[in-house]
Amino acid sequence: MNTDLIILLCVIPLAAGVLNVFLINQRAASRCVSIASFVAVLALSMYFLLYTAPLTGADSVLVSQMGGWKAPFGITMVFDSLSGLLIAAAATVALGSYIHSFSTLDPAVERRYYHPLMQMLLFGVNMSFLTGDLFNLFVAFEVMLMSSYSLLVIGTGMKQMRQAYKYVLLNVLASTIFLMAAGMVYGMFGTLNIADLARIVAEIEADPARSLPTGFTALAVMFLLVFGLKGAFFPLWFWLPDTYYTIPIAVAGLFGGLLTKVGVYTVARLFPLIFASDGAGGISLTIQVILVVAAAFTMFLAVLGAVSQHEVRRILSIHVISQVGYMVFGIAVMSGNALAGCAFYMIQHMVVKCALFLCCGVMEKHAGTDDLDKLGGLLKRDWKLGVLFFIAAMSLVGLPPLSGFFGKMVIIRSGFGEGYWYLGVVGLVTGALTLLSMLKIWSYGYCNPTPKDGYPVQTEPKAVIAGNRPAYFGIAMLVLAALFLGFGAEPVYTVAFKAGEQLENPKAYITAVLGDEAYATAESLAAEHAEIQVDSVQGSPATTDVRTDERAGSPVLAEVATHAPAEVSP
Amino acid sequence: MSSSILRTAMGLIFPLTLLFAVYMALKGHNQPGGGFIGGLIAAVALVMVRMSHGRDVMASVMPFHPRLLIAGGLAMAGVTGVVPLLFGHPLLTSRAPYVHLLGEAIHVPTALFFDLGVLMVVVGVAAGMIFRLGGEVDPA
Repeated sequence: MNTDLIILLCVIPLAAGVLNVFLINQRAASRCVSIASFVAVLALSMYFLLYTAPLTGADSVLVSQMGGWKAPFGITMVFDSLSGLLIAAAATVALGSYIHSFSTLDPAVERRYYHPLMQMLLFGVNMSFLTGDLFNLFVAFEVMLMSSYSLLVIGTGMKQMRQAYKYVLLNVLASTIFLMAAGMVYGMFGTLNIADLARIVAEIEADPARSLPTGFTALAVMFLLVFGLKGAFFPLWFWLPDTYYTIPIAVAGLFGGLLTKVGVYTVARLFPLIFASDGAGGISLTIQVILVVAAAFTMFLAVLGAVSQHEVRRILSIHVISQVGYMVFGIAVMSGNALAGCAFYMIQHMVVKCALFLCCGVMEKHAGTDDLDKLGGLLKRDWKLGVLFFIAAMSLVGLPPLSGFFGKMVIIRSGFGEGYWYLGVVGLVTGALTLLSMLKIWSYGYCNPTPKDGYPVQTEPKAVIAGNRPAYFGIAMLVLAALFLGFGAEPVYTVAFKAGEQLENPKAYITAVLGDEAYATAESLAAEHAEIQVDSVQGSPATTDVRTDERAGSPVLAEVATHAPAEVSP
Repeated sequence: MSSSILRTAMGLIFPLTLLFAVYMALKGHNQPGGGFIGGLIAAVALVMVRMSHGRDVMASVMPFHPRLLIAGGLAMAGVTGVVPLLFGHPLLTSRAPYVHLLGEAIHVPTALFFDLGVLMVVVGVAAGMIFRLGGEVDPA
């Protein structure tokens, strides 16, 4: 197969977005184009996943060098199991919330640029998942953020504007820090290609005579700050509940499902590969402590916040944060299994969280409010919605055999196995509290009797159900996907474990992007040092010779040698 | 703003600025310049027309919605990028053949079309902003 075709995952949404600008104000045509684009992205990502499933090593990572410029000089697009899983989940979520929006979105909002913006959002998200270059990652983030800014303010009132302002300001700040950090990476290593960075770090780890550049950990913390803000880690989550509270529900579902996961994904991609290194083959203590603390507090404090809330939207949006904690937990443990659990948890959470938000949208259609005090009796009015909500909620809680269970099980087990029992305990307690908050929505909203004086807005149950067919369709699609992730966890986990292995052992990724000889250097360096230690030849002079010889052989390394002024020998 | 000096001078400034924009865009392949800068210069020409002649003339200079320019430019750049895929090359691969025209060998890189697309997007965005800030968009 021509691996250059992976870029279609970005090109299709871009093309659909452009086409939708020409089709503006033609609702039916726009909808057809958008749905076709989402379905095509979903099908293609599934196809690539199935294609790479039986392959191993560097073959299982599909690479395309933009414009034919070889890495690390050009921009590289990399499709591995993790990106594939996330793109497939992103397309599913986008499709579900898009179909849902047919019945819940205000036509005045839909009329303008809603359709192209949805496509551009998916374009940015897919490019973030695919890119193998730090600067390109910044560009992808910007594409995604620009679309999200516009989707936030589209058709707004004052309240929404105020929250959007906060969101824009924070993200502009985060983007600036990201750009500064990327510049520092270039200054330290002379490259921005992720595989090339991973190779340099692996070489430094293999060579006791070299150490990481000064300020490497500070750089890692800067990146953690940026991605933590996007991913809503403790203590950078404060923007999230307010923002998701005010926007149209279909957009809230999409954002709740997608956007935080992009931040988590970049941490899962960059930290095991590069930034968590301590320069000697281990994990940097600073980064580990930050990740562990962030995971524990994100899980626990956020779920407390969710339990204390009394409006469905707020409960759900604060839950987004709490669930992100589990993913950070997986990254903090940083073993292959934990990262696999993290990957699985990300995709299941995207689907389930979006489904819950969409259910909330229909609840609002019934009652005109999402305040639990004014709700009740929804199960009697609309049992189908009740069933859909219940399945989604229990998937989120992680009741076996639903999808959340398999995600949490793998993460928490690897936590206990690797000596992070305290995180495991926090995870279990958080799971129990999640159940509590979901049961709160269930009992107040669905099981309690209808309030005596009715809902704030009087509606006819049959009319609401008949008027929101697409909404039910969108929710049902996502709930089916969640059920598939639960009952079909086995095949999904096969791919997820592969993703975890690829993250833990970067050899496949590096050789796929840079070619065979690049990684061989790090391995031969390690071998040389093993020999030197056995022969008890004195360390430094011999090592230096070996290194220069190795470098002369590879043009890529020679390039790095001239560009890396900050290699400091101890 | 209404100044007859500016209005008269615009007859000369406007075509010259546009010409300079095209020149900058074309020379960008090998030298400083390019579609983005060319687009900004062309946008300056539009701003000056708006300032000197007002909205009606502006509307006749650009008788369509700027979004068409943005989408058209994006489409042009996108198509330039995608065509190499059809021939089995990675996205955005560029060819730079020489075209013989009237005895001259002219360098025509395919990246030129990408640059022109960028130019259209920049002009479209700038024009859209001018229309908006002038409060002249149809009330809708």
